[in-house]
Amino acid sequence: MAASRDDFIIAIRSAFLKKSTQQKFSLLTLLFISIFTILLSSFDFKVVRLIKTGINEIVYRSSFVVSIPENFIKNTFLEIVDYSTFFNDYLKNKDELNELKSSKISSEIIEYENKELKELINDYISSSDKILAKIIVDHNSPFLKSIIINKGSKDNIKIGTNIYDQSYLVGRVIEVNFKTSRVLLLSDLNSNIPVTIAPQNIQAIITGTGGNYGEIKYIKDTSIDKFTKESIIYSSGTGALFKSGTPIGKIKDTTNQSSDKFIIEFFSDFSQLKYVFAEVITKTEIENKSLDTSTQGETPSITPMSAKIKILEDELKIVEDINLKFKGENDHLKIKINDLNNQIFDFKNEILSQKEKIAQFNFDKKETEFLKMNLYYGHKCRRSFFNTKGFTIGTNDYKKCVLNKGRKN
Amino acid sequence: MVKLNSRNPLNKFYSWLPISLLIISVLNEFDFNYLQLDYFSFNFPFILVFFFTLKDFKYFDYFVVFLSGLINDTVVGLPLGISSLSYMLICIATSYFRNITIRPNQIKDWFYFLFIISLINSINYTILILFFSYTLILMDYLVNTFFTFLFYIIFVSIFKIYLKGVND
Repeated sequence: MAASRDDFIIAIRSAFLKKSTQQKFSLLTLLFISIFTILLSSFDFKVVRLIKTGINEIVYRSSFVVSIPENFIKNTFLEIVDYSTFFNDYLKNKDELNELKSSKISSEIIEYENKELKELINDYISSSDKILAKIIVDHNSPFLKSIIINKGSKDNIKIGTNIYDQSYLVGRVIEVNFKTSRVLLLSDLNSNIPVTIAPQNIQAIITGTGGNYGEIKYIKDTSIDKFTKESIIYSSGTGALFKSGTPIGKIKDTTNQSSDKFIIEFFSDFSQLKYVFAEVITKTEIENKSLDTSTQGETPSITPMSAKIKILEDELKIVEDINLKFKGENDHLKIKINDLNNQIFDFKNEILSQKEKIAQFNFDKKETEFLKMNLYYGHKCRRSFFNTKGFTIGTNDYKKCVLNKGRKN
Repeated sequence: MVKLNSRNPLNKFYSWLPISLLIISVLNEFDFNYLQLDYFSFNFPFILVFFFTLKDFKYFDYFVVFLSGLINDTVVGLPLGISSLSYMLICIATSYFRNITIRPNQIKDWFYFLFIISLINSINYTILILFFSYTLILMDYLVNTFFTFLFYIIFVSIFKIYLKGVND
């Protein structure tokens, strides 16, 4: 028994401490360094943060270079898939584009109204600038869903910066380095987004599932039976984590409502992202200057009044654009109405000529019928030497008699 | 036929191939995401580290394995040191297993591998949940462990051919 315990201890000691000729460090040393690194990474020391940023910069770039062959294969695969569904996608996109064009203008108005109201509430003007960022690493771990973009603190990216794919929200920045940043995708389990569900106007929190979809984690309203497939989800802006009014996805499956589990289909396909937009927001405080200060000849800075005037000017521009669009549509409709009137006139003429043809046909039919009967019964109705009760050919009585099959009454 | 000696650059490359493969795999994260297979994932570095440390391959440096762990954490976005700890635990386990094994058997190695990766994934999961407040799905870990276990035997066959080539 003691010998067996000794063997075990010797084996363990050997495993921990014995170095082969090629090894520079014993496993025990490396094990302690690992534990020490974990402990350090859990504390937010400035030195550690700087070292980490340096490591991140080097590793992300190296990872990008090493991933080039795999990305090439991946892109080729995706292109082949795209080509196979190209035509169907084209038709679908065409329809969607038409719908979007028509709704764009009204969205712009709402956007400006929204901006105006927000600025009145917050007392500052937020001007956002979307910068294009390339995804350099998108190797999602099976457990964590994140991507690395090639913009960092150098480009004014901050922790919490919202990241978009076109106008759809895809995530937010959780780690910023000098020239790179890590974005936590909405599909990650650790991602919680306050949202509004339209058109029902229900507040909720959605979370990622680790897959390609999300689900509702918490819902404020209990009347969840109102959801339809068309229910759209956009960020509510609650908690100031995400900008409000940004589309996220739509409710995918409403058939499983009894289980209180709603699957959210994101508008953006996170597995196929190549470029994203990072929204860099700069806030300018609105100074509380009264109107009479502008008369003192100083160069006016941004005042609430000037901000409102600018917004109104923008709105005016949009209204003018709408008017032009409506005018164009009106002209187009007038031409269409004229065309339709001409068509109606043509159809009326056609109907008239067809009626005449029908009348002629009916007349000819009656005439043919009379001639046919005349062959059979004409001798019975014709006045002759033997038939003194008959009628003279061509008279109405004669015709009547023939049609009555020779009967004179 | 060109004889490969230790000074030959080709031979050097061939000898350092496993460790290079480890660095590339942690930098690249073979994920097969574009195949869009649900629940499919496996941990290639685990297989690589387990096999070559078990065979005590002299060009498989523990320190490089440790650095690979740090790279893996950076790429995946885990707290620094988690993967290094996992790899070091695998190295310790294989070293211990090598010491106590008199007659190596592939099937025994295979099931020992399952035991070790299950243990390490459990430690990983626990640390991430308890100390770093991550939200993780246990099922993903189980599936990952299962596929890593399955793929081990396939990769071992390939690595054995490689080792035979190196020894010759």
